[in-house]
Amino acid sequence: MSDQQLTNLIKMLEQIIANNLHHGDDDRVAAVAADHLHKFWARSMKQQILACVQEHPERLSAVARLTLAKLDPEAATPAEV
Amino acid sequence: MLHYYDPSTQSYEPGKTGLNPDFDYGTPASVSETLVSMSIDGRAITVPEGTSVLRAAALAGINIPKLCASDNLEAFGSCRLCAVEIEGRRGYPASCTTPVAEGMAVTTQTGKLAKLRRNIMELYISDHPLDCLTCPANGNCELQDVAGVVGLREVRYGFDGENHLDAETDDSNPYFSFDPSKCIVCSRCVRACEEVQGTFALTIEGRGFDSVVSAGQGEAFMDSECVSCGACVQACPTSTLMEKSVIDAGQPEHSVVTTCAYCGVGCSFKAEMKGDQLVRMVPYKGGEANQGHSCVKGRFAFGYATHDDRIKEPMIRDSINDPWKVVSWEEALAFSADKIKGIQARYGRESVGGITSSRCTNEETYLVQKLVRAAFGNNNTDTCARVCHSPTGYGLKTTLGESAGTQTFESVMKADTIVVIGANPTDAHPVFGSLMRRRLRQGAKLIVIDPRRIDILETPHGGEGIHLPLRPGTNVAMVNALAHVIVTEGLEDQEFISHRCDSDAYDTWRRFIAEERHSPEAMEAITGVPADKVREAARLYAQAGNGAIYYGLGVTEHSQGSTMVMGIANLAMATGNIGREGGGVNPLRGQNNVQGSCDMGSFPHELPGYQHVNDAAVRARFQAVWGVPLDDEPGLRIPNMFDAAIAGTFKGLYVQGEDIAQSDPNTQHVEAALKSLDCLIVQDIFLNETAKFAHVLLPGSTFLEKNGTFTNAERRINRVRKVMEPIAGMEDWQVTMALSNALGYPMAYSHPSEIMDEIAQLTPTFTGVSYDKLEQLGSIQWPCNDASPEGTPTMHTVDFPIGKGQFAVTEYLATEERASRKFPLLLTTGRILSQYNVGAQTRRTDNSEWHAEDVLEIHPSDAELRGIHDGDWLGISSRVGQTVLRAQISDRMMPGVVYTTFHHPGSGANVITTDNSDWATNCPEYKVTAVQVEVVTQPSEWQRNFQQFDQRQQALLEPAMQGTDQADAQPVR
Ligand code: SF4
Ligand code: SF4
Ligand code: SF4
Ligand code: FES
Repeated sequence: MSDQQLTNLIKMLEQIIANNLHHGDDDRVAAVAADHLHKFWARSMKQQILACVQEHPERLSAVARLTLAKLDPEAATPAEV
Repeated sequence: MLHYYDPSTQSYEPGKTGLNPDFDYGTPASVSETLVSMSIDGRAITVPEGTSVLRAAALAGINIPKLCASDNLEAFGSCRLCAVEIEGRRGYPASCTTPVAEGMAVTTQTGKLAKLRRNIMELYISDHPLDCLTCPANGNCELQDVAGVVGLREVRYGFDGENHLDAETDDSNPYFSFDPSKCIVCSRCVRACEEVQGTFALTIEGRGFDSVVSAGQGEAFMDSECVSCGACVQACPTSTLMEKSVIDAGQPEHSVVTTCAYCGVGCSFKAEMKGDQLVRMVPYKGGEANQGHSCVKGRFAFGYATHDDRIKEPMIRDSINDPWKVVSWEEALAFSADKIKGIQARYGRESVGGITSSRCTNEETYLVQKLVRAAFGNNNTDTCARVCHSPTGYGLKTTLGESAGTQTFESVMKADTIVVIGANPTDAHPVFGSLMRRRLRQGAKLIVIDPRRIDILETPHGGEGIHLPLRPGTNVAMVNALAHVIVTEGLEDQEFISHRCDSDAYDTWRRFIAEERHSPEAMEAITGVPADKVREAARLYAQAGNGAIYYGLGVTEHSQGSTMVMGIANLAMATGNIGREGGGVNPLRGQNNVQGSCDMGSFPHELPGYQHVNDAAVRARFQAVWGVPLDDEPGLRIPNMFDAAIAGTFKGLYVQGEDIAQSDPNTQHVEAALKSLDCLIVQDIFLNETAKFAHVLLPGSTFLEKNGTFTNAERRINRVRKVMEPIAGMEDWQVTMALSNALGYPMAYSHPSEIMDEIAQLTPTFTGVSYDKLEQLGSIQWPCNDASPEGTPTMHTVDFPIGKGQFAVTEYLATEERASRKFPLLLTTGRILSQYNVGAQTRRTDNSEWHAEDVLEIHPSDAELRGIHDGDWLGISSRVGQTVLRAQISDRMMPGVVYTTFHHPGSGANVITTDNSDWATNCPEYKVTAVQVEVVTQPSEWQRNFQQFDQRQQALLEPAMQGTDQADAQPVR
């Protein structure tokens, strides 16, 4: 994973959140954003952003961290080669 | 009674009404529901009121001679050849301008009529060269035919009197010539240009004997307003206006009906052939999308198909610095399969992917995504629709429940107010643009929401439109302001909303949109458009009767593209403009098969028919037919593939018919990604920009060389029919099939119709589609299934696929791409008529005479500030790159906004566009880039590198191409 890639994923996630703030409180927004990631992000992208939240939680906003807490870890399990 | 006519099903389509699209019925059909019975030469016939006697006769099988009439033009009554006798009436009325009446008895052949017609022909011929044997129209000339029919035997006036026989030919147009010596001044060309095309380029100058056809003020065609649509050429009954390809090759001997491969209008054409040589493309009257009209691209720009640059044999190389090596199909496919398998063994199953194309057929696209999902074993498939209409897919599916436009093109003829948002129909969808102009001439109102003053606003006799020239990037603010007016001024269609829409979603949306912060007054500072104009537009749309919205990439290619699409759907639902003719939400698709490529499951998260990959029941059906387990997680989208390539985890890519190196944003980033790949397989007709980074080059076939279907912007599935053999022996679907077989995943189709059968089996909206039905009906608008066996012209008439329509809250968020002191101008991009997309095809035709290079349009005040003059070289810098284009001073945009097109690779328009993208779909934000502009004296560094790289790659290709000229490749299965 390159830092550029991670920067892009963080930007994408924060953009999804920013465009869904109207759904209400953080919890609701995070649920909507997590659902979006679940439906549209590739497995590897989910893995990378989940790894990032472990290593560098400070790079993500509070709602982004909440989103990732809601992301089904199953969906981000590495595919068998 | 010979013919009974049901006006509601009146159509040119064979099979539906018995009308023959190849026959000219003389005057247009009347749509009246009142029927009139009469007799012609003793034959009884019943036709709709308003039908001309000429047309009624033609329907009864009686052909009255005619010259100035044609069934795509209003009757004019100038030649008088169609004179008839009518019982109880005096004289010899022209049958083309005489409407039928109840009980009327018409005689078409009497001694007097014969004499009258012969006299008329004698006059015509006395001023017409008698060089029929060497005339290019010989064998296909209405004047010749009528002379034969009326029995002209002598020309008593001789040929010595005053005549036009020495008039000079105008050869300025590259595709057709104008030889006035052959002109009979029937004015069909003038009327075709007005009524069919809507350009009004031609006039009849002078009177009586002196009258002549003239393009503009006595200008040559190329210097006039003419846009080379060909309508006048088609209308001309003589060889005065004649295709140069026919002058060169002679009259064609057979023809095949097929579909244009350029834009999303999807015009039907007759490919007129001599053996396997394409002589001309003639718009087909039986085609429902175009009804016999065309534009310069589909009509004339087909020369690329036989261009010397065509890749004629498969080629491979180990590195992009190596020369290409011509190999057999077997070797190229084995090489590709080995590379892909090797990469997957080393880097994992997800390290490879494929990109399908909106230019390829449905069947080809279906096979590529199937290959990725079944043979590569992942969902890393995407399409170039990612970079154009992916927000349409997301936005319309969320609100209306289906990722498609709601109407037929014809529906615009019932619209009372037409709203065009971020689209340029007269340039990018020209045949539909002409239809729209026709409706505007009939009095429909026009609202254009676009930073640039586009040509539809200047429709001759089209009335004054409202132009809302908003700042690039403020679409959502604008759509919210419009909705705010509709809601707060009580202009909603409450009946529609309460019956058809989800009430909770509506209440939430209504509370949101009614907030004062969305009012046009509050939004004025953001959009730059005066509030009173926005209010006027909102009222006009909401109170129209039928309000129709047409939008294009100016809506989708933004950081809030998906939000804007939902905002448009909100507007249509709030005003009840859904579910009937004349209204609707209509995405205008750029390329021929954008709709189809999305339908066919090209997106990484959706199987064909927009069925999500994580739906176990859906996967089970596909797995049963495909015989392999399918991944339940979405794959990578194009921009994610690029990021992963640069990061070193994505190593192999199969690209069919798409030029990502030129068409995707931030070119330098894309180039870096492509250079990081271990194996790039490009299947294309030319060495496009992407192919310069490839390791395998598989020759593609043009639309003339294959069978299949395209789906246009109205969801209309049209047949593409092969008229010549594929240059390298294989059609594109056969190549994908062979690659799959080489990878060990068996595919065995013997014709694209079998692929369509599989699509129908797996896609609920396609279950009723088959090639047999397409033959029978001509075309089908999906959904086509048990509920609507003949297809669905208008969507959502009773309910939405998701039950109730879902209003969506559309909060405006400014893009991060803002003008600043360093980058004070906003660049936006678009298209022009004569060129198509990345230009690979049209640049290899004479269309380049209209647009030899991309230019930067800049407002006079911005130009003056920077000391810029027309034609200066301008350096354009953005936060990501720099390029150089020539200046064109233009006041089409407001100050602060500059504009360019992206049809030429060396222009580097995408060197300056950024990585910003739509929040929901990653569709790039092509339409807003902050830039600075200054006069320069030399190309940018990127352009110099581009030129060097291009020269090197051409040099690496050249020896291989020389060896392939006599190629005789054999297909493999
Ligand atoms: S080619 Fe089209 S635009 Fe040009 S003069 Fe003929 S009808 Fe008019
Ligand atoms: S150019 Fe052809 S269509 Fe036009 S007036 Fe002359 S004969 Fe008629
Ligand atoms: S480019 Fe579009 S409008 Fe022009 S002929 Fe082809 S399909 Fe029709
Ligand atoms: S065809 Fe009727 S007047 Fe010419």
